[in-house]
Amino acid sequence: MAFNVQRRISSCLLLGLFCLTGISLLSCSAPKEQVYRKSMVQMDTLVTITVVTDSADRAEKAMERAFGEISRLDTLFNFFSEKSELSMINSNAGLSGVRVSPETMEVVEKAIEASEKTGGAFDVTIGPEISQWNFSLKIKPEDESIKKRLGLVNYKLIQLDKAKSTIHLKEKGMLMDLGGIAKGYAADKAVEELKKNRITSGLVAVAGEVKAFGRKPDGKGWKVGIKNPRSTGKNDEIMAMVELNDAAISTSGDYQRYFILDGNRFHHILDPKTGYPAQGCQSASVIAGDGVYTDAFSTGVFVLGPQKGIALLEQMGFEGLIVDKNGTIHTTPGLKGKIEFTTNH
Amino acid sequence: MSLRQTISATTLGDRILLVSLILASCAGIVFIKDVLPNSGGVIIEVQGKPTHRYLLDQDRTVRVESPYGQLTVEIRGKRVRVIQASCQNKLCEHQGWVSHGAIICLPARISVSVGVPDKSGDKRIDATTG
Repeated sequence: MAFNVQRRISSCLLLGLFCLTGISLLSCSAPKEQVYRKSMVQMDTLVTITVVTDSADRAEKAMERAFGEISRLDTLFNFFSEKSELSMINSNAGLSGVRVSPETMEVVEKAIEASEKTGGAFDVTIGPEISQWNFSLKIKPEDESIKKRLGLVNYKLIQLDKAKSTIHLKEKGMLMDLGGIAKGYAADKAVEELKKNRITSGLVAVAGEVKAFGRKPDGKGWKVGIKNPRSTGKNDEIMAMVELNDAAISTSGDYQRYFILDGNRFHHILDPKTGYPAQGCQSASVIAGDGVYTDAFSTGVFVLGPQKGIALLEQMGFEGLIVDKNGTIHTTPGLKGKIEFTTNH
Repeated sequence: MSLRQTISATTLGDRILLVSLILASCAGIVFIKDVLPNSGGVIIEVQGKPTHRYLLDQDRTVRVESPYGQLTVEIRGKRVRVIQASCQNKLCEHQGWVSHGAIICLPARISVSVGVPDKSGDKRIDATTG
């Protein structure tokens, strides 16, 4: 009898030990937050979406929805697609207003706002000028042709009728190009889509237009590298790093699309007032709450130059970093202590 | 009472339960391995759709075609490069070796994404602007 009791007690202890082992192993396998990242070619560039979640299924679904949203916006804003709403607006310039979706109305409204704030340094009606240049084939238009089309570059000739949801370009030959604002807007909308799908931390990068929200699993903000405008290779590609906390950053640079002709650099960021490439900066990076504004203002600030650019950013409550034409770095006061420079500049 | 005696004193029911618990523990171990991050991989997409997936630590050369062109991709020494492209400007060829990130040939509508295990906590940047 005593032997049986002892045997039962020993068996129970053995069972208890294995139960504890099994339970502890299973509890180790409880899902933890991980970083998921996916890239796709959209809007004719690389889009990378990064999310933090404890569910691979949730990550996949949220990223799919976000990529879907970017794709949808591209069908509205694509300058090179005949079926886009932008192309419909352009082909009816000087004729009639075109009924547009809320997103197109919103992005054009914000473009006009940026034009007003930058005094016209950012202007989406730059289309007639920029369409004359070909940076792959190194084609610079004739001075006469540049001068002739300047009259068509004027954001004040964009007519919005919000009641009818129409946009009208008043003069024939006007062309709107949303390339300086659409990617930032798309990043904002992609982030909204991620949040709708229960993602509380992530980052969307549409080319160099980056919008971040929440924190990484280590509790830190998202770290974004700012490119060195005169990089010679992989080793000096990044000149500075900034940690984003629920903010966006965009950069406009004279090294993104350009060619050198007779010792002169001709790049794609045209001054709307002259039709020629703006000369004051090598690059301009802007940090603000929304990508639509960082995208537009990085272009506007680039055209304005370092002094006026920094003054405007302070007025707007944005932060920024400008590398002027001589390579000198200018920053807004609020960025001091928040930016880490590498030795590459 | 020795361990041997204790074990020999168990009934058939005790032993069945014991084996079941051991198997359940082993299943937990397999499950843990499953949810650990994968080692780096290479994903090739044509017109936005994944068409090829490879492990980064297996050397190979792959020819990828799309209706708009073709690339020859080399995976070697846990790095990836495009060694031949049908496009005119050859930017993807000039990009050289990539150990993380992506190589894109826009004319051919082909992208090669190279993944690495997440290293949250180190100083690696999460994105680049400019």
